[in-house]
Amino acid sequence: MSAGTPIAFPNSGPPRHPAPEDLTLFAMELFSPEEAAPLARHLDSCAECRAELGRIYSDLALTAASVELESPSTSARQRLLDQVAREKKIIGQPNQQSSTPQTEQRKESKPQPAAETAPPIAAFGRSGSLFAVEDRPQKQTGRTIFAIAGWAAAAGLAFAFLTQHKDRGALNNTLATQAAQLQRLNADAASAHKLIEAITDPQAVRVTLTANPLPKAQPIAGVTYNPSKGSLIFLASNLDPLEAYKTYELWVIPANGTAPIAAGTFHPDEQGNASLIMPTLPKGVPAKGFGITIEAEGGAQTPTPPIIMSGD
Amino acid sequence: MYRVSDPDPEAQNVPEPPAEDDESLLAQVQSGDEQAMASLYDRYSRLVYSVAFRVLRDPPAAEDVIQEVFMQIWRNPDSFVSARGSLGGWLSVVARNRSIDLIRRKRPTTNVDDVPLASPGNLANEAERNSLMELARTTIHKLPREQRKTLEMAFFDGLTHSEIAEMTGDPLGTVKTRIRSGLLTLRKAFQP
Repeated sequence: MSAGTPIAFPNSGPPRHPAPEDLTLFAMELFSPEEAAPLARHLDSCAECRAELGRIYSDLALTAASVELESPSTSARQRLLDQVAREKKIIGQPNQQSSTPQTEQRKESKPQPAAETAPPIAAFGRSGSLFAVEDRPQKQTGRTIFAIAGWAAAAGLAFAFLTQHKDRGALNNTLATQAAQLQRLNADAASAHKLIEAITDPQAVRVTLTANPLPKAQPIAGVTYNPSKGSLIFLASNLDPLEAYKTYELWVIPANGTAPIAAGTFHPDEQGNASLIMPTLPKGVPAKGFGITIEAEGGAQTPTPPIIMSGD
Repeated sequence: MYRVSDPDPEAQNVPEPPAEDDESLLAQVQSGDEQAMASLYDRYSRLVYSVAFRVLRDPPAAEDVIQEVFMQIWRNPDSFVSARGSLGGWLSVVARNRSIDLIRRKRPTTNVDDVPLASPGNLANEAERNSLMELARTTIHKLPREQRKTLEMAFFDGLTHSEIAEMTGDPLGTVKTRIRSGLLTLRKAFQP
């Protein structure tokens, strides 16, 4: 963006608040990073301006609410819920095993009703039936049953402990695998990010090498397109500058004869270079060709003739 | 919210129980409740999609934005707390910012934690939401033409004040004032 009114804040002296108009532009993210930085620093230390920023965001929410309502496709809902299901959350469960130690159960003088939520092992030995047996006059039978029950409870607890231990081990393994995978993905993303930055950085120098000097460089562009993934990389050079309020727009021309799909608008830099990296495109659309048109700023939904550059 | 159909026709006149508030749904989302996530989507997807569509004018891209915005909620429901005001308002501002980022073909600049909102009203209730949206539309349509156009160019088209000044031939200060004045008019329209 071209430079707007400079925003400066003194380091000392009484606090100077930014103009409300500038706070509004800041909230709309219309400032360049250089313009926004001093404002952000001021906001960190000024509660008054933060409060006004909150009111501005509220105004922006009202502006957003003025849109005519449209409905997303029903598949969008399913897509979200599928993604949500894929990213299930792991919620910690209370450790029920340790909540009712066996020794405490044995000390209890009266039987207690089994809690509805208690698992079988925890409920075992607490239900009235077992202790009712103990109260009977046949002491020997009662002791035998109690002993068996005690061993059964101990075995059950040991089994539960081992199962949980095993589950925890499996969970730890899964977490370690996912952490390693995340690390790999982060490394891949960082590498991809560097590549994209190198391609799109306006400071980068782009040179076309030829065997013999060309009389006049012609506009040339290349598209790398993967229809199954909907991924596209577009690089162009020697493009002519545009009139004000005009933009170039790239179109994917589907092989099935349906309407061209807008792949994004772009402006060449001073050297005539331009790029579009991974614009949002539908997946699974084989292309018959690609075309470039000149459209009004903001782009169009259908291409406006003439198609100034094309390729099959 | 989960109504069971009643065979008694007279019982159908019983008013619908109030929908769960956003805070309660977010708490359920925090504990991994997928149904609560679906409820939030059903409540706000049209608003979020409409904002993204208004900016991008591209249905698949707008659907990508709602997917991204709602997944933010699923992955990090803490990023929105009730102190930030209305969830609907917050979602719509985040959707607008993300859509503008897409237009500019740049990486997301909106950190969801960075968007505090004074409450613009109760967007959780459908009737109130519709009424609020109607008032917002009416108020914006009543703005002076140049003011409305400037506000829409900045908010929905993501054009900077310098770009707007260049396109319209208006001085920078006038552009800034128009944007601010438009928003203030909107604010006043909703003040009791």
